[in-house]
Amino acid sequence: MFARIVGQSFARNPRRKMLTVAALVVGMAVATATLTIALEVGDRMAREFRSLGANLLVTPQSDTLPLEIGGVDYRPVDEGAYLNEADLGKLKTIFWRHNILGFTPFLDVPSQLAGGRVTNTTLIGTWYEHEVPVPDGTTFKTGLGATHPSWQIRGRWFRDGANEAVVGAALAAKDREALAIGKKIQLTHGDGANSAASLDVTGIVSTGGAEDNAILVPLSVAQNYSGHPGEFRQLYVSALTKPADALADRDPKSLTPAEYDRWFCSPYISSISYQIQQALPGGDVRAIRKVADSEGRILSRVSTLLWIVTLAALIAAGLAVAATSAAAVLERRIEIGVMKAIGATNTAVTALFLTEHLTLALIGGAIGFLLGAGLARFLGASVFGTPASPRIILLPVVLGLAALVALIGGLIPLWRAARFDPAPILRGE
Amino acid sequence: MAALVQIENLRKEFGNVRALDGVTFTVEAGEWIAIMGPSGSGKTTLINILGGLDSPTSGKAVVDGTDVARLDEAGLTRFRAEKIGFVFQQFHLVSYLTALENVMLAQYFHSTTDEGEARAALERVGLADRIDHLPSELSGGEQQRVAVARALINQPKLILADEPTGNLDEANEEIVLRLFRELHAEGHTILMVTHAHSIGQLADRRIDLAHGRLAQVKLRV
Amino acid sequence: MFGRLLWKMLRSNRGRLAVALVAVASGATVISALLNLQFDIERKLTQEFRAFGANVVISRAGSAEGADASQSTPEVRGSPALMDQAAVLGQVEKMQTPDVVAAAPYLYVVARVGDVPIVAVGTWLDQARKLQPTWKLTGGWDPSRADEGRCLVGRNVARQFQLAPGSEIELKYLANSAHLRVADVVDAGGAEDNQIFVNLPVVQKLAALDGRIELVQLSVSGTGPGIGNYVSRLASSLPGYDVRPVRQVAEAEGNLLDRTRLLILSMVVLILVLTALCVLATMAALAMERRKNVGLMKALGGSISRIMELFLAEVSVLGAVGGLIGCIAGVALAEWMGRRVFGTSITPRWDVFPLTIAMMVGVALAGALPLRLLGKIRPAVILRGE
Repeated sequence: MFARIVGQSFARNPRRKMLTVAALVVGMAVATATLTIALEVGDRMAREFRSLGANLLVTPQSDTLPLEIGGVDYRPVDEGAYLNEADLGKLKTIFWRHNILGFTPFLDVPSQLAGGRVTNTTLIGTWYEHEVPVPDGTTFKTGLGATHPSWQIRGRWFRDGANEAVVGAALAAKDREALAIGKKIQLTHGDGANSAASLDVTGIVSTGGAEDNAILVPLSVAQNYSGHPGEFRQLYVSALTKPADALADRDPKSLTPAEYDRWFCSPYISSISYQIQQALPGGDVRAIRKVADSEGRILSRVSTLLWIVTLAALIAAGLAVAATSAAAVLERRIEIGVMKAIGATNTAVTALFLTEHLTLALIGGAIGFLLGAGLARFLGASVFGTPASPRIILLPVVLGLAALVALIGGLIPLWRAARFDPAPILRGE
Repeated sequence: MAALVQIENLRKEFGNVRALDGVTFTVEAGEWIAIMGPSGSGKTTLINILGGLDSPTSGKAVVDGTDVARLDEAGLTRFRAEKIGFVFQQFHLVSYLTALENVMLAQYFHSTTDEGEARAALERVGLADRIDHLPSELSGGEQQRVAVARALINQPKLILADEPTGNLDEANEEIVLRLFRELHAEGHTILMVTHAHSIGQLADRRIDLAHGRLAQVKLRV
Repeated sequence: MFGRLLWKMLRSNRGRLAVALVAVASGATVISALLNLQFDIERKLTQEFRAFGANVVISRAGSAEGADASQSTPEVRGSPALMDQAAVLGQVEKMQTPDVVAAAPYLYVVARVGDVPIVAVGTWLDQARKLQPTWKLTGGWDPSRADEGRCLVGRNVARQFQLAPGSEIELKYLANSAHLRVADVVDAGGAEDNQIFVNLPVVQKLAALDGRIELVQLSVSGTGPGIGNYVSRLASSLPGYDVRPVRQVAEAEGNLLDRTRLLILSMVVLILVLTALCVLATMAALAMERRKNVGLMKALGGSISRIMELFLAEVSVLGAVGGLIGCIAGVALAEWMGRRVFGTSITPRWDVFPLTIAMMVGVALAGALPLRLLGKIRPAVILRGE
């Protein structure tokens, strides 16, 4: 009988119920969308920040002081230590390999050009779209695009391993005739096997830094020119990290085994550095602090902001839904009066209405979840460029929230109505 | 002098149902007409049309020179405000307004409000000491008297009453009917729908309707 | 009478309207908090980005013919284009605004300590410190611009030469030398760990480049467009020089701000929709109850516009009052949010009030749609058969 009454109640007056359900749906859609985005945002923003470029730098452990000005190392080739290019594939085997978005080695070689107005310059050997063989048999394509995304190229980058070169914009401006796209430049006085390489200029790069005064070539060309095959001096790494918290900053040696596990399994910049260090013995891994720290700080601020905004939106949604469900119950005062007049107890009336309300809440919540998931995808796509994928775990959360909020909202007028004398209600007051 | 109300061949159909089927009669100014008949005979429909609450399907209904049948929505609204005073069986007072405010409501929709006149109207119906009471604080008879004051406030040409004492007990019925007799004596034109013969006998003329048609027009003996 | 009627209407429906008021007020609270926060968010986030260091660089325009034949490093570097210190810094000084957090000149020289080549950076030590908030000065030294006897050494330099605050070193360049005392060691977490920092005149004398500098770096705070504005004004005051924002930082900053702004805007829209729906639900219920009264008013000769006036006024009051309550609560909420996220107070923006209230009135009017349907009812139908 109970079920019958509830069922009948749904069959009548669908329009009124529609509005309540609609408010529930939108409210829960807002809740779902904001929760989904808040959960995803940390990840997305972190990726956004990788547009700042590398956040880790690997240099040889036993090294002399680099003569670095604005990012270019001016040391002669026979000074200082080198790292092995062959080791680099191991970076994609560490625990956090999927967070290693890219890495680029650099070898800066003082060089001389034959002919033209510029004679002394620096040759920067590096990668642009290079396939690194990984020990598990796959290859990983990486290079400047991942670690130095703000560098702008006119023309095109050199092909991997080819005798091609890209000239820095400031250098090109000093000799517009000889250092232009399509021209050949001639290297002289190298220490290695390919000391008189002839290179095709394929592009002009603008970096905003000291590289604008240098010539960029494939790593292999610089290695051959300098007589250091298979070697490089610096490695820039772009890793997707999680903002540091108390655990991240502690010395790993001081952690208990449980803490150590937690630390190792969180993508802090410190744990990723540690893992890279293990993979590249002889290398000294350091966070590029101004990138890593600021990134972490800004990320955690934005993340906090978004969670707070989500919380506020949830409260607003909750209150709106509660208000709507209170309105819905208020409307039914007459029915409640009638039921009481024919002898229904307070409990029976409350139970009936609550059941109806809960059913509405669950239906509304479920539809709202679907709508909200779609909304999250749309928002994710338009705001972040990649759609936010809905999390199934949110479904019970949202349903629970819907039920809770609808109940609280409906309960207050229900409680008041159930206690009232039916007579005035029936009289139409 | 032209009759105040002239109805000619009035028809009203609601879908397949013919509520009024070619009714014709006239009403002179100052007459009290009782409209009687069994339920479903079209009494309320007739009153509604005369009061501009409804439009006929065909025929003429001229009230104070205006053919109600030809008026559009805006015209009917003005007509109701200016020419007609309604008194309903269920009183239909606004529950959250005092007696005074209920009367002033009619003024508000007519043109401007005048609290002094509203007070006077309520005094006229004997409710001088009840002006600030809400309808829930008034007896049925008092509520109906407020409704009468409201009906009178804009000096209507025609007072239309639909079973005005239907919801009242004997004592209150007596009070309200006495009020109507006074109004009649003062020269107001009253059209009252009733099913009670005792009330019908108070009128100058009786119009009986049956199945949407005029059955009898009886003069008071 | 209009006012009286309105007041009585509001009072008689206060239960229902209170419920709708809750929805409107809560929506208004969140929206006004977000709007209040929006402005401050941008400003605070851009401040965070200042930790990246300089975001504007002034250098000699690329078309330099290598005219400055005197090279700062005869062996390796191509001749960097040098600028006239007085001319450039003079302009920078003139264009100084409170938004410029720091500004410093730079001159790089590959000098020697003993036989070891090392990069010596001539700058204004006090400003360089401000330009790089991520620097950690282990000894807590507060550098001054005038000090020509002391220097700052990078962490790796200190380790290499076993230097500590108080140690003495001698910087040599060709035939010149400068005797310096180490004032502090800087842990920069970057290239600066390998460099020595001294005040500009020391390096200029060492390299015989008096009055020359290579770069000026600035850290400018403010909103994206504000910074862009400053850069273009600075650029036009320095024709022949290259004044550019540091692309990396500017892009990331611009991106982040755009995203945050868009996200907040979407939230605001969603909440508006939700609030409108809630008002709609309440008004629909109310409209049902009002049919009798509306029928009566029509019977009394009330025109649709007269009747609608009342209802729309009622709903507007709902929106305005809810909006006002929400705005006040929103200031408090924004303050709390600001503290949680940035740890500082938010300055409430009073122009948010009229905006939010207007939005809420708009939402209320939109939600009052069902009331307009009341205009269509036929009084005879309503007043009959009850």
